[in-house]
Amino acid sequence: MIRIVLHGIVLAASAAVPLASAAPRACDPTAAQLAVTVTPDPRGPTAPRMGDRLAFRWMVVNHGASAATGMIVWLTLLRVDTGHEQAVDLEDWSTDKAVLVDNLASNNIIRRTWTLRLISSGTYRVLVGVATPDVPVPTVAASEAFTVAPKLVVESIRVLPVALGIPFTLGILLAFRLVRGHAGTGTEDAD
Amino acid sequence: MSPSAAIARYEGGEILASPRGLAWLLAAAAVLSSFALLLIGSTELGLLDNAQVVCGMAGLAVALGAVIAAVMGVDAMAGERERGALLPLLATAAPRRSILLGKLGGQALAWAAMVALAAPYLWAVGSTGQNLGMALLGLVLFGTPVVLAAGAGAMALGALLHSARAALVASLITLLLAASPLLLGPSLRQSALGRGFDAVNPFSGAINALDAMIVDGESLLSQGWKLTFAVAWLMVAYAAALGSLQPRAGRDLAT
Amino acid sequence: MALPLLIEGLRVRRGFRTVLHDVRLRVAAGEVCGLLGPNGAGKTTTIAAALGLLVPETGHVRLFGEDPLDASDGMRARVGLVPERDGLTDWMTAADYLQYWAVLQGRPIGPEGVTALLSEVGLDASPDLLTARCSQGMRRRLAVARALVAGPELLILDEPTNGLDPRGRRRLLGLLHRLARQRGVGVLLCTHLLGDVERVCDRIAVLAAGRTVAEGPLQDLLGRGGNRYRLRLGGSVPKMALCVDSAPVRLLHQTQGEALVELGANVAPETAWRALLFAGWPIQEVRREAGGLEALYLSLTGARAEPQPAVADVTPDGDLA
Repeated sequence: MIRIVLHGIVLAASAAVPLASAAPRACDPTAAQLAVTVTPDPRGPTAPRMGDRLAFRWMVVNHGASAATGMIVWLTLLRVDTGHEQAVDLEDWSTDKAVLVDNLASNNIIRRTWTLRLISSGTYRVLVGVATPDVPVPTVAASEAFTVAPKLVVESIRVLPVALGIPFTLGILLAFRLVRGHAGTGTEDAD
Repeated sequence: MSPSAAIARYEGGEILASPRGLAWLLAAAAVLSSFALLLIGSTELGLLDNAQVVCGMAGLAVALGAVIAAVMGVDAMAGERERGALLPLLATAAPRRSILLGKLGGQALAWAAMVALAAPYLWAVGSTGQNLGMALLGLVLFGTPVVLAAGAGAMALGALLHSARAALVASLITLLLAASPLLLGPSLRQSALGRGFDAVNPFSGAINALDAMIVDGESLLSQGWKLTFAVAWLMVAYAAALGSLQPRAGRDLAT
Repeated sequence: MALPLLIEGLRVRRGFRTVLHDVRLRVAAGEVCGLLGPNGAGKTTTIAAALGLLVPETGHVRLFGEDPLDASDGMRARVGLVPERDGLTDWMTAADYLQYWAVLQGRPIGPEGVTALLSEVGLDASPDLLTARCSQGMRRRLAVARALVAGPELLILDEPTNGLDPRGRRRLLGLLHRLARQRGVGVLLCTHLLGDVERVCDRIAVLAAGRTVAEGPLQDLLGRGGNRYRLRLGGSVPKMALCVDSAPVRLLHQTQGEALVELGANVAPETAWRALLFAGWPIQEVRREAGGLEALYLSLTGARAEPQPAVADVTPDGDLA
């Protein structure tokens, strides 16, 4: 079992399981009136690799008697491999990072789908948090962990022929051109 | 064939057929090869690293294209004047506008050669990732106005300054100034002046657009204003170059 | 019919420096006009002004009766130019280069036209030779062919025989003569080689320090050679019109302590000197200038020809010795 501390919230997560069998989990220790769930889009790849895109659907329900105003919902990506535990900078993973919901009426639901581009290999878990100005301690939901398989992004078998072949070819062309241009320079007038 | 097409073919032919032009392409290939070879053996690269490599390669191609265009632009005016080739050219029946468009066309051909040169490098480092298409699209769309603006600006400087060396130095300093936001990075954007400079600077606009499209996966449409700025700079540089070719009191165009 | 080239009272500034003060020049159809002058006299600037590449301060330039600054682009095709530096492209063949230039002039030519042009300048054996492989003389001849590509009515040549061997030089001068006589081309030949001028020019203009100091038919100018005198002066010359017995004494050139004057045909030199002394000229010595183009050129441009015997010495009190 991996224990991750994030913003003072203790999350419990089991080991990674296949994505298709992932079940939604909710974590709602403080704000009973707001509930959040996050689940991977079942149409996504079951064994994702670097470069694939994974969509995650989240849903926030307002169970309270009054409307939730100024609600912020945000995405967090955690890397959970042993020795690499960290919150991942979403900068290059997703253009969807957070959303502000002005008003969510009582017993209403808001749903969204956010997409992640899988940039690096490793095991990850997606968290979706929700908080309001009145209830600053967030409610957080976590997806099941999923593993992104590595992919070799720079193959020397491609780079070497290009990086060596092109300058070589241009060098040959240049030498040919110089020899052709200089041969016979200084030809005398032939009146 | 129109005079401008003939001049474009002539100028473009020089970059592909003359030893000097081939030497420039060889130098550009050497820079791109060095960059590509640095990646060999890096098995830990993630897609983010890969996207940044592709973006860096595309940015490098734009920078090299701009330098080559600036050198060609200075050479097209000040260099030709020093070699005695500008005087007979301006004395022909070809209108000034055709001469300028032809020379710009030659730079466009040189840029096309540069894109063709960069494409295999982009393929080599980017084809296993997911950004190759965007890289090529961004390179053509954003690189072209930036490179041609550098070339047209250099032509204006070459026509206005009496020495080819002075024009070349002025052009390269201008290019360096345009690239300074990339070197200074976020620190420049901490002031309003720096942000303003960054916003209107076509070179950093193109590089930022490439970054947004290749690394962040943003759409081309979202980069429209940067493209508009780059094209506007191209038009300003073109107007300056055209103005510099008009005879004026106290200034000799060709000798 | 308008003259191919007419320049009058041309004054040109380059930056803050006035480089041409008062240039006049005319080139008629079928005539070869030599433009002479020492280095820096303003010959190349005059050519640039003639081509509309700079804006004069005062004076006017007319190419075929039109101001070159306002003329249509097509009018420039009527002018062929051989500049001092040929400015050829090294990576093209002679034939390709001429075809390229013909397109620029708006008068494309085919392979036959190229062959005829190359033959005219004696390069017919080298159409496929890269210009980089051409000798200096061949490059000059290719530059001449380039100038002829559109069949010009005015040909302007700046030092065209530089780098040509004697045979090539003779051939080029023969070509210029033929173009003028047979095709009615006006030729402006800018050169330092006075022998070339004497051989082909009908008319000359001499520039010195940005001014035309002599302009007219070559034979007329040479014929007046015996009437030019160089005066050594002990001070400044009063500004007044000079007339001796109603025939003018022309002040051709003046430098510090010296003046070059030309006497009218019927003016006796002694009479002229007395009149000048009476007018306040501080004449100290008088030397007759030698005849011939070289002497004319040297005297007009301020340099001394080989010394001639003094024809008169003037005593401090004004008596002629």
